[in-house]
Amino acid sequence: MVNENVTVVIGADRGIGRAIFDGLRNAVSDDGTSDVVVGLGDEIDFADPSAVAASFAEIATRGTINRVVFCFIDESAFTPAPIIEMDEAAWDAAGERSLRAALITFQEVHRNIADGGRVVLVLPTVGAVGVADLVPLCSAVEGVRVMAKAVARRWGARSITVNTIEVELSAFILGDEPVGDRVLPAVATLGASALPAGSATQDVVGLIDMLSTDAGGALTGALLVADRGTVMQP
Amino acid sequence: MTKLLDGRVILVTGAAAGVGRGVAVAMAEAGAIVGIGVRRPENAVDVADEVAAAGGTPVLLRCDVTDGAQSAAAIAELMATYGRLDALVHNAVSNRSSEPTDFENASLELWEEHASVTVRATWRLAVQAYPHLKASRGALLLMTSPAGIEGSAPLPFYSAVKASQRGFVRALAREWGPDGIRVNSVAPLAISPALENLQATDPERVKRIESLVPLGRLGDPRTDIGPPSVFLCSDEARYVTGQTLVVSGGRFTSL
Repeated sequence: MVNENVTVVIGADRGIGRAIFDGLRNAVSDDGTSDVVVGLGDEIDFADPSAVAASFAEIATRGTINRVVFCFIDESAFTPAPIIEMDEAAWDAAGERSLRAALITFQEVHRNIADGGRVVLVLPTVGAVGVADLVPLCSAVEGVRVMAKAVARRWGARSITVNTIEVELSAFILGDEPVGDRVLPAVATLGASALPAGSATQDVVGLIDMLSTDAGGALTGALLVADRGTVMQP
Repeated sequence: MTKLLDGRVILVTGAAAGVGRGVAVAMAEAGAIVGIGVRRPENAVDVADEVAAAGGTPVLLRCDVTDGAQSAAAIAELMATYGRLDALVHNAVSNRSSEPTDFENASLELWEEHASVTVRATWRLAVQAYPHLKASRGALLLMTSPAGIEGSAPLPFYSAVKASQRGFVRALAREWGPDGIRVNSVAPLAISPALENLQATDPERVKRIESLVPLGRLGDPRTDIGPPSVFLCSDEARYVTGQTLVVSGGRFTSL
């Protein structure tokens, strides 16, 4: 078992993280490769260094960690609220906690990932466009995204790549789940997507696969916006 | 002749030195009443003198931005004395902001030093200033950094917290636009106390940094970073919100 390649999906219990976890796991069984896909979700407090360290230590016994997909944003960040109505605890939960979780997780990834490994963050596009009543979420997303860029520069000497894929907020929250009765935060965008609608999960899993190829090894610190041409950042 | 900020009341945090001091003096040159927010007012009398000499009205305020009571009191003092707040410039950063950080082994305590000043205080100051900025249809200006855009390898914590300010600006500009409050940021490349120390200890390294700047030098806080900051706090920028203005002598062109 220790010779197996392991992919770890952080934030695998819901939304896009869950969908990516399922997609990568299915891909393993479809093509007959022996990669192990491990999901870390609500059972872990990602803002607790000892809990994250213990989880990675356990995963490392299953094989070589050569790919990590980070999709974690604290759930409280998705509840819209004006900042003037927040107390410090609410601000922390909706914004700063996700930043700490990213920091702690990246530190543990560095200790456990193999040289040449691939780290992919999946985040919502809200940080790029800004959304009223989601200020802590937008702050956290931009902070995490640029933290990853700094990490990409630091880990390049080990040939570890760190890239970010951004998807629309609804896709991030829902993944492959139907919206049902859930009320999603309103996001002002630059308009409709240029391309016809499709599965954000398939789009993202395809990009993760691309980033995992030899050719993908030339990309690091990059931002890939998988929103079918909605934001089109300048 | 009317100046851009005549009679406007502006609080600048972290105004004891570096960019904050330069911006405070530039605001004074533009005619503002300048709240000089510092942790130790007794050590910033020279800043007040410089603000006065530049034509502004200095108000020295004790304002450790990690202490919500202090920042609230600083704003309250300006309101009690002048009855208005037209802009808040949050420039303060952790004392350790320019220290290279061993990201992979750094402690949460160090992260907290950065986050408390740059992330949490940004939120808290904005909330405390909100009713006054709404009344004046004023401006919130955050001094971020090119590091928060490029992702600096030696300054990963600083990069992350400064980037969070850009997300904050974009979102809050949309949230407060209907109230007439503009929210912007400036990403300066300028001479800082840390760079002044470096100039004394390793002048060749400073020369190498300067060689990367198309305009051939590091920015002066007062004359290079100050005027764009004045602009963003003035009525001349009445239709500008949600933006980051990179003021770096052309050092960063791909951000």
